[in-house]
Amino acid sequence: MARAVAIVGSGQTKHGRRDDVNFPELIHEAVERALQDVNMTPKDIDAVVSGSMPAFMEGMNMMHLYWSDALGGYKKPHIRVATCGTTGMSIAQIAYYHVASGMFDVVLAVGGEKMHEGDPQGTMNYVADPYFSRPFMSGAPGIFAWQTNEYSFRYGVSDERIRNAAALISVDRRDWGLLNPYAHVKTKVTVEDVLKARIIAYPVRLLDVCPSSDGACAVIFCSEKAVKKLGRKVAWVKGVGYAGDEVWLCDGDKVYWESAVTAAKAAYSMAGIKNPIKELDVAEIYNPFTFQELIYFESFGFCDKGKACELVEKGVILKGGELPCDPSGGVLCTNPIGATGLIRVAEAAMQVTGNAGDHQIPGAKTAFSHAMGCMNQINGVMIVSSEL
Amino acid sequence: MAKRVAVVGVAQTACRASMKENSRDITYNLVKGLLDEAGLKREDIGTIISGTSDWSTGIACSNEYFIDAYGGFGKSMSKTEEDSALAFVYAVMRVMSGHYDLAIAHGITKMSEIPDPSTISTFVGNPFFERQFGLQKYSAAALQCRLYMDKCGITHEQMAKVVEKNRRNATKNPFAHLRKAVSVNKVMKSGTVASPLRELDISPQSDGACAILIASEEKAKQFTKKPAWVAGMGWAVDHSVFSDRDLLNQVLPDAAKRAYGMAGIKDPVKDIDVAEVCDRFSFEEMLWYEGLGFCKKGEGGKIMDKGLTQMDGRLPVNPSGGVLASNPYCARGLVRIGEAALQVMGKAEDRQIPRAKCALAHSTHGLAGQHHTVVVLKG
Amino acid sequence: MAQDTKAGRVFEDRVSLPFRYALGTTMTRFFDEFKDKKIMGTKCPSCKKVFVPARYFCSRCFDKMKEWVQVKDTGVVETWTMITYKYSGQDREPPYITAQIRLDGADVKFLHYIGGVDMSDLEKVREFVKTGMKVRAKWRASRNGNIHDIEYFEPA
Repeated sequence: MARAVAIVGSGQTKHGRRDDVNFPELIHEAVERALQDVNMTPKDIDAVVSGSMPAFMEGMNMMHLYWSDALGGYKKPHIRVATCGTTGMSIAQIAYYHVASGMFDVVLAVGGEKMHEGDPQGTMNYVADPYFSRPFMSGAPGIFAWQTNEYSFRYGVSDERIRNAAALISVDRRDWGLLNPYAHVKTKVTVEDVLKARIIAYPVRLLDVCPSSDGACAVIFCSEKAVKKLGRKVAWVKGVGYAGDEVWLCDGDKVYWESAVTAAKAAYSMAGIKNPIKELDVAEIYNPFTFQELIYFESFGFCDKGKACELVEKGVILKGGELPCDPSGGVLCTNPIGATGLIRVAEAAMQVTGNAGDHQIPGAKTAFSHAMGCMNQINGVMIVSSEL
Repeated sequence: MAKRVAVVGVAQTACRASMKENSRDITYNLVKGLLDEAGLKREDIGTIISGTSDWSTGIACSNEYFIDAYGGFGKSMSKTEEDSALAFVYAVMRVMSGHYDLAIAHGITKMSEIPDPSTISTFVGNPFFERQFGLQKYSAAALQCRLYMDKCGITHEQMAKVVEKNRRNATKNPFAHLRKAVSVNKVMKSGTVASPLRELDISPQSDGACAILIASEEKAKQFTKKPAWVAGMGWAVDHSVFSDRDLLNQVLPDAAKRAYGMAGIKDPVKDIDVAEVCDRFSFEEMLWYEGLGFCKKGEGGKIMDKGLTQMDGRLPVNPSGGVLASNPYCARGLVRIGEAALQVMGKAEDRQIPRAKCALAHSTHGLAGQHHTVVVLKG
Repeated sequence: MAQDTKAGRVFEDRVSLPFRYALGTTMTRFFDEFKDKKIMGTKCPSCKKVFVPARYFCSRCFDKMKEWVQVKDTGVVETWTMITYKYSGQDREPPYITAQIRLDGADVKFLHYIGGVDMSDLEKVREFVKTGMKVRAKWRASRNGNIHDIEYFEPA
């Protein structure tokens, strides 16, 4: 049995286009807020973990060294993880294992990105192997478009129905984003706006996709011993799951998505969750594209295969539904990739500790957070709860 | 109480200037070999942590490139950047947590695939006011070496002795890249690259990979009668800006203190039988002696002269030949740990230090030793 | 619209770096045969699946694949998309269609372009390009042993 680990606090930057700060300053903003949140100083931190997208996205090498002082890291143990879109979740999980191993009591986890300092799509093209896949990559939209088209063909979902479900998601998440002071995109849209938006990669349209954001997030993980000293409500880590598909993106099933299914099952098993819809109060899902959420609902067991559109149409995963998703506005409103997965974890922790302000889901006790990465190849899940 | 964890298997490639196979197939062969030797299947491994570098692989998100090659399909795995010694410490933490019984740590770099490592290393420097002066791994090391020579009286000859020792040691290591000895004279006569560094003061660029099998206390004895127990681990990072840093007073003592504290090491020279340190440059090895507490500050050259760290010395350092003989970048940290493990397991063949019971492994990355990792293994 | 905070001064730079990735024995043979208009896969001795492009080991069974199998240059579209947006470093000018194709004889999909279709209008494209449709490779007259030796797949 691993040691109990809790998230005791977090901090986020105002996400958006941040030409007002350089990268270390952006990181510092999030770290400062996290430390203030828990009334700690860098002296109280035993170890640091950090991560972001491939460092060459921002024209740097060894990003953790560039951030070292900004996170109060001088002389501290510091490891950088880099796992593409799941980086934020990998950062949360390595922080978790730092504490669960028994080696550290207070660990600072930091993720960040400055998408505007480089060429994200150009960088992301280099995720694909150079021999067979790279020429056919068209950044992220292409990959999600293939996945969506495969989904609708398999279940015989009409173009109209799936686009409508995606539009409902887009409207709902953007409404939530308006209530989140840190969110990047704050726009009110209608279903019609989404349906009529310019096509990017069929069937994905402009209002189905996330922005490119600058932003950072810092989360503090503690052992039970350290939590006792703090005397505040915390979010206990109840379930951890992570799984990867093979490098060849055409090999596996991305519709009933193998790595998403495996990661969720592992987290559910650890957390003792048998009926996600009933036992989870809120979920923060990695949704850079509206359509992809439909695939996640099924892969995470929120509904049966082929039934995701129904779940949306019935409002189950929308505001006011049985399992509201992405009350932060989600990735659809804010996507500083290296931080994004960690923001999902931070938001889940904020929900179960009653700290989500205007986007609080009343009475939330158990929250699901998730991140996805590479070319639809890896998925990670962390479930937190206010109860140990 | 944290669980005890051990190294129970080590696999490494014979490092070379250029390996014909691609890095995924190299990884597959290495890990398959490690599993076969342990009588394990891919399914038996709980988790894998890899240490690779995106820049030095030419693949964005290089984590994804190797997942299935190290047997990670469907498994929980992760990647630490730039240093596979950190992949090791993370894998050990996962086993210590009790979540996993068997883990693999992996690292690989094929320097032959990256024709411009100097350019890549310029991107470590601060982009606004340091990169512009050509700050990269060689110029940074040269600046540090100059300081070391001026402040502590380290000589070219002492630096050359380090090279001579390690290259001689490497003649007995079939996994090393450079396996021919060089004389002190030859080192001192080699051309200046970045004053005061000469060509033979600098490690080669190698292709190579390493994979280590890690087991919890319950499982360790299934694989070997002499597991190499992880007794202590410590790592630490320096300031960001190069010119902010005190290059002779680094964070290595902080990393070492954590590892020694965990391992109960009070007097390194007495308590440690053999060490594998990350000597990217000749002078670095002496500086690391000081940081690891093998001698007083400023005396790294003295103990080199006294022969303390020779194969027949009191504390042999780099019986494998170290990084000066073999530098597969990201993999080199894990190779240090693997070599240290082989020593306490009694499997170091012709480079075995007799009766080695406590071995230290050290890794570093970043400009002039910006980050250090120390692992202590006991038999 | 995104909210921009107050802009500050920026320092601009541009980098171009060479890389040379080793192909290895398996991919070298794959591309040699590809140049001869043969699409080769390898078969896993455990799960018996045929993987195209040919690779050295099976990702799931973790076994070496030594049996080479030629698959046809015809197949079925399993999913596709048409790209109509631009970004820097793009391999070709939009619009273009990419698809995952299950070649006859293979157990996994193969990534490539769909061509020979009027791409001026999405609705027109959707009449011609459908998941489940049969396609055939259009090989280039002059081939170099890389993935572009096939120019695109066209409706069969």
